[in-house]
Amino acid sequence: MKIVLVIIVVIFIVIIGKVFYIQVIDYDKLNEYASNLWSRNLPVKADRGLIYDRDGGILADNITTTSLVVIPNQIKDKETVTKKLADILGVTYDEMYKHINKKTSIERVHPEGRRLSYEVADQIRNLKLDGVYLVKESQRYYPFDTYMSHTLGYVGIDNQGLSGLELMYDKYLTGKDGAIKYFSDAKGNKLNLSEVYEKPQDGMNLTLTINSDIQASIERELDNAVTKYKPDMVIGLAMDPNSGEILGISSRPNFSSNNYQKYTTEEINRNLPIWATYEPGSTFKIITLAAALEEGKVDLEKDTYIDRGGIRVENATLHCWKHGGHGKETFLEVVENSCNPGFVVLGQRLGKETLFKYIHNFGFGSKTGVDLNGESTGIIFNLNNVGPVELATTAFGQGVSVTPIQQVTAVSAAINGGILYKPYIVKSINEPETNSVIKENKKTVIRKVISKNTSDKVKYALESVVSNGTGRTAYIDGYRVGGKTGTAQKVKDGHYLDNNYILSFIGFLPADNPQIVVYFAIDNPKGVQQFGGVIAGPPAKAILTDAIKALNIKKPNGGMEKEYQYYDKRYKTVPDVTGMDKEGISTALKDFKVDYQGSGAKASYQSPKAGSRIYEGETVRVFME
Amino acid sequence: MKKMNITLIVSVILLSLFGLLMVYSSSYVWADYKFDDPFKYVKNQGIFLLLGLILMFLVSKFNFENYYKYGNKIFIICFILLILVLFIGTERNGSKSWFGFGSFGIQPSEFMKLAMIIFTSKYLYNNRKDINNIKKGVIPILGLTLLVFGLIMLQPDFGTGVILVMGVIGLLFVGGVNLKFFLKVGFLGIGGIVALILAAPYRLKRILSFLNPWSDPLGSGFQIIQSLYAIGPGGLLGFGLGGSRQKHFYLPEPQTDFIFSIISEEFGFLGILIVSILFILIIASGIKIALKCENLFGKYLVFGIIFQLGFQALLNLMVVVGLIPVTGVTLPFLSYGGSSLMITLVGIGIILNVSRHQK
Repeated sequence: MKIVLVIIVVIFIVIIGKVFYIQVIDYDKLNEYASNLWSRNLPVKADRGLIYDRDGGILADNITTTSLVVIPNQIKDKETVTKKLADILGVTYDEMYKHINKKTSIERVHPEGRRLSYEVADQIRNLKLDGVYLVKESQRYYPFDTYMSHTLGYVGIDNQGLSGLELMYDKYLTGKDGAIKYFSDAKGNKLNLSEVYEKPQDGMNLTLTINSDIQASIERELDNAVTKYKPDMVIGLAMDPNSGEILGISSRPNFSSNNYQKYTTEEINRNLPIWATYEPGSTFKIITLAAALEEGKVDLEKDTYIDRGGIRVENATLHCWKHGGHGKETFLEVVENSCNPGFVVLGQRLGKETLFKYIHNFGFGSKTGVDLNGESTGIIFNLNNVGPVELATTAFGQGVSVTPIQQVTAVSAAINGGILYKPYIVKSINEPETNSVIKENKKTVIRKVISKNTSDKVKYALESVVSNGTGRTAYIDGYRVGGKTGTAQKVKDGHYLDNNYILSFIGFLPADNPQIVVYFAIDNPKGVQQFGGVIAGPPAKAILTDAIKALNIKKPNGGMEKEYQYYDKRYKTVPDVTGMDKEGISTALKDFKVDYQGSGAKASYQSPKAGSRIYEGETVRVFME
Repeated sequence: MKKMNITLIVSVILLSLFGLLMVYSSSYVWADYKFDDPFKYVKNQGIFLLLGLILMFLVSKFNFENYYKYGNKIFIICFILLILVLFIGTERNGSKSWFGFGSFGIQPSEFMKLAMIIFTSKYLYNNRKDINNIKKGVIPILGLTLLVFGLIMLQPDFGTGVILVMGVIGLLFVGGVNLKFFLKVGFLGIGGIVALILAAPYRLKRILSFLNPWSDPLGSGFQIIQSLYAIGPGGLLGFGLGGSRQKHFYLPEPQTDFIFSIISEEFGFLGILIVSILFILIIASGIKIALKCENLFGKYLVFGIIFQLGFQALLNLMVVVGLIPVTGVTLPFLSYGGSSLMITLVGIGIILNVSRHQK
């Protein structure tokens, strides 16, 4: 009998041990499972990560809204509750009844109960109905609405990214929803136990390389171009040539990220600066120029070419844009004049293998790899199909199809010392609470394309295009601007369209040490003379001018003076006349009108100050003491 | 006449009263839902507890030697009731083990448990010379036991059947039956189980599902998972009286077989420890009384009752904590069940009476 007692006691100890095991060793697991079993969740939406510009300005924000959820099991008098809610929300009794009577633990009244106004939410709250809850929801809000809409993208009703960066970085931007957990019995009734608040984990924040001032400038110029020319599309793109950072990007037509439902998927999905492909026209000549310089095929100052308005290649005659030609010109003038036959000669000197090698090395014919979705590849002739005519047209930018971002990336390489960078727009991904960096993008070198020396020559040539050549409309007085115009006839079904051009300008600043490359293209402007310099130059200039302040670019010494044409007004620098007598003053200020104030013999003060640049013939006031 | 064993009385009364409290705490949710009366189960249990305690004291005054005299009659009456219940009994939860009287019910198999102990004690006493003769001594009583077991299995009520058989086997053991016999029976049993498993391998899976209840969370593993969800989160001190979540419809009929889980959930490890100690005190005092008893019939009687009670308690607890597969056995003193409580208290009364006849 004692043995039996011992055995019984031992088994009791085993049982107690097992209970101990369950309550201590398995505690976490069981407690978690059991909590999940007992608790019902009222979701608390996490905030989506914010998108910032490079200076911390918010490009994509969140606003808080209120949504209605019901827990059908907790609603005793379903008819009354249905009627009250249907009245407040303005929906039919039957529709509401479906929600209230649904066999589910928690029902979101969708879409009638989403994004409730404050008044409606308050009315519902005042009813104090069992099983009826108002939960906070976070809704995306784009403060600039249409700005950068293609690039930022938009989100759906459940805050899921559906296009642009919102889609591309959805994984990071999406947070983890939290919940108010309350305890419920197995039949779904709420138990009288305290509720547990599980904090939502907000999504990661994105910081872009975008400079908001430059972006705003681009958006403004795009809008102006739309108003003025009613074009098919307009594209603006700005990049830091020394890193590949995108400083500004946008296009028209655009859409409102806040109200994306009103637009077609085509309008929404085509991010033109990376998606559109077309013949670049003369802006492509920069590539031919860089290749020819790098290969030592041309001396811009010494080599000359006589342009008679066209050049015969095989059985075709390729015309210069200027009827009758430019006559005898140095190759620098060929660049300034954007003379097509001159570039044909450069192409011929390079030969097809070499020219196409440079074209590919500059990144054409393949995606740039920018961290945006929907990028196009463009089309470059297959080398086997390149005959003399194809070589000749490619040399001045016809017969190839490229994207704006390819052009900007390639030109950046041509002027930054010869390094092709991979463009990017996301600077960093940050954890929302501590702001610690999760992921950071740095500049990525793809390859070295040309030497620094060649790059300097390209810069020089392109600065003279703006000072003396076709790019004159982009000249900013006192600053060194380089650039190139482009006028490309559009192709449809293998034929060139009449009077349908894409006019473009690609410019950079300062020309000796470029900090920004701006590309601006207007597709099929209506009712104007269709030359790139005339139409696309001024908006590019406006953006570059704004960039001076935005990037804090200092006035340089020794820029090229603009070569003036008869209709141009000249800027002149105001000399220092203080201390001079009237005679000296009138000599010094011969280009200006002088307004003497006071009655003294010598100038004590002048306005504008010495060193200012004003149009010739304007007035300088001098105070005599 | 000696004084009654105080430890035993106090432990039994404490455990019974705690049982009543826990029947209320674990049942009111279901009672309210099913009968619109949260006190439904506790009222029934209270009546039976009162009745049982009165009976315990009456029985403790009633000389246990009378059971020797009436042992056969008691056994025959219970045997007839067991047959009758199969025909005129009410069916509850798929088994026909009740005589219903309004909302009350009488379970003849519970009475049979005690009757079997009385009868076996008497049998062992009468055949104490032949006890090592398997054919003459052991086979007849074992055969009768298996017959009763068969009757109970017709209801069916496996748990009660097993307890009844184990009570007899325990008695045979202390009655001096050769250990070898138990080993043989044991091997026979294991052989039988192996044969059953070989015949249908799915049984093994079924039996072993208690080791990993999550392999079939909605089927065979359901009850044990719900039980673990009650025990685990309880922790050291539990959620406090009334604080159980599992009784809110998660654990079916928490006032019966799985009341220990709810105790664990509301009173934690400490509650379990106290309940276990009370059980050990009851069993230990019972065995002490049996050891001291000079009347062999009384010795067998006390041991049989206490062994049956202890075995039932262990069987229930091992199921609840997931050590063995679910068998459907209630926890003495604590689980809801009028007949069971009453008969258990009567058994304690018998033990108390035996203790009074000691020197």
